[in-house]
Amino acid sequence: MNHANWTVAILEGVLVFLILYKIFWARRGKDLYIRKIPGLSAIDEAVGRAAEMGRPMLFCPGLSGLSLPTLQALAILKHIASAAAKYRTRIIVPTADSVVYTIAEEVTKDAYAAQGVPEHFNPEDIRFLSDDQFAYASGVVGILNREKVASNFMFGNFFAESLILAETGHQVGAVQVAGTPEITQIPFFITAADYTIIGDEFYAASAYLSREPTLLGSLAGQDYAKAVLVFIMLAGVVTATLLAVHPSLGEWLNWLKWFSPG
Amino acid sequence: MFTGWLIRPGAPQWIWAVGVLCDFLIFGGAVFLLLQLVPVHYRKALVAIVTFLAGLIYSVEFFVPGDPKTGKNFLTGFIEQVADATNVVYAFALGLGVYSLFRFHGKNLARKRQGWHNNLAFFVAFFVMMLAGFWQDLTPSSAMSKNTFNMLFDGTVAALGAAMFSIVGFFIVSAAYRAFRIRSAEATLMLAAAFVVMLGQVPIGAYITNGLPAAGLGSLFRLENVSYWILNEPNMAAWRAIAFGIEVGALAMALRTWLSLERGSFFEREL
Repeated sequence: MNHANWTVAILEGVLVFLILYKIFWARRGKDLYIRKIPGLSAIDEAVGRAAEMGRPMLFCPGLSGLSLPTLQALAILKHIASAAAKYRTRIIVPTADSVVYTIAEEVTKDAYAAQGVPEHFNPEDIRFLSDDQFAYASGVVGILNREKVASNFMFGNFFAESLILAETGHQVGAVQVAGTPEITQIPFFITAADYTIIGDEFYAASAYLSREPTLLGSLAGQDYAKAVLVFIMLAGVVTATLLAVHPSLGEWLNWLKWFSPG
Repeated sequence: MFTGWLIRPGAPQWIWAVGVLCDFLIFGGAVFLLLQLVPVHYRKALVAIVTFLAGLIYSVEFFVPGDPKTGKNFLTGFIEQVADATNVVYAFALGLGVYSLFRFHGKNLARKRQGWHNNLAFFVAFFVMMLAGFWQDLTPSSAMSKNTFNMLFDGTVAALGAAMFSIVGFFIVSAAYRAFRIRSAEATLMLAAAFVVMLGQVPIGAYITNGLPAAGLGSLFRLENVSYWILNEPNMAAWRAIAFGIEVGALAMALRTWLSLERGSFFEREL
């Protein structure tokens, strides 16, 4: 297993400090601005469409087990399930992991109870399909076609099955909102889905939807952390350029080596 | 093993399997009972403490430098044990997944809903595959049990998976057709970039610009080099920018989860 060197440890410490500082700063009641993210704003539009059409919605929490992207997907599911309960719309959640299935069922049940309509929650709509990638994909494709879903949400870790799910959703005429931290799958979602959440927008989703001070503060901390990383990168570009032009400066500008592993 | 002293050495493998299952149930039942005995207002704190300690092992293991010879530090040995414990917790939930499948397909079958024969196919496939797996495990020297399992797994499950995967090829064509239509300046730029990259990957691309010099300034305009440049310069820059954003977002979420600051994100009610 790899271990951090001192440079990485200090840098990580700085990033952690910035994020935690902004979280506790925001918890003191500071007002924080968050820009409009069209993909996340479209969630309510997609829920409304399903309610108007009287057809169900589908939420895919991805293929992974209980990883960070799946946790984020479950936080988004809470918001969508609340809206589904509010508008008395059916939401189907097919899962590929038994732990995620258990939590997704609890999250959805809780959202219906919080909206005062626990009797509308149907446990059969939260399903464990298979932990096999393409068995899961074929199961979801079947549900999309049979149920004629009006809105399809795909949040979490997706792999080669992403395009199968998104294209089938497109074929059945569903409004599709997708987000994944898997960079290789983002182009497929951009192509096939109506709205795609890219990059760190995925991890901003829970803050954007809930406006919780802790989450908003964390988001602000992330921005400061990214500013630190951008500064290091710019300094690296300048240093590397200077070293290329004047190799004799190598002894004075050897800080790039601090980031080397080992 | 709790039940290990009940089993004689050299006992058949299936008896050991039953023993492991009994251990699993005894340990799981004891943990569940203990959790139920903890007063409700302490459960939240208990969960937070267990989460923090489990996360702390991974963090400290990463940040404490390892022995230069072995690359391990004093916590490296524990990582595997923590991973095993996580697998045990996961194994508990496996039964819930099976329960979900049985509940859904069982109800449809019992009520003879439309497509009930598919639900019947699930039960047949489930039990046949399970029996074939157990048969192979219990008779490792039998060629017949091995062949039966391989026929079911390689000949059916793997082949069906491959068939499903092959559909991606067709979907890429339909998705690319929609994406590459010239609707805006960005779409046009993407179409041009995709055209050059695709041409640069196939022999005809290299043939078209074969007349250009292989070295020097002119070589930069050879299609395979333009394609390489698009993939490794502008594309890679965008890729890394997205990756940085994602990783910093993941770090923030990991911190919130580790320190139990993520409360309220999943449930309205408290534990």
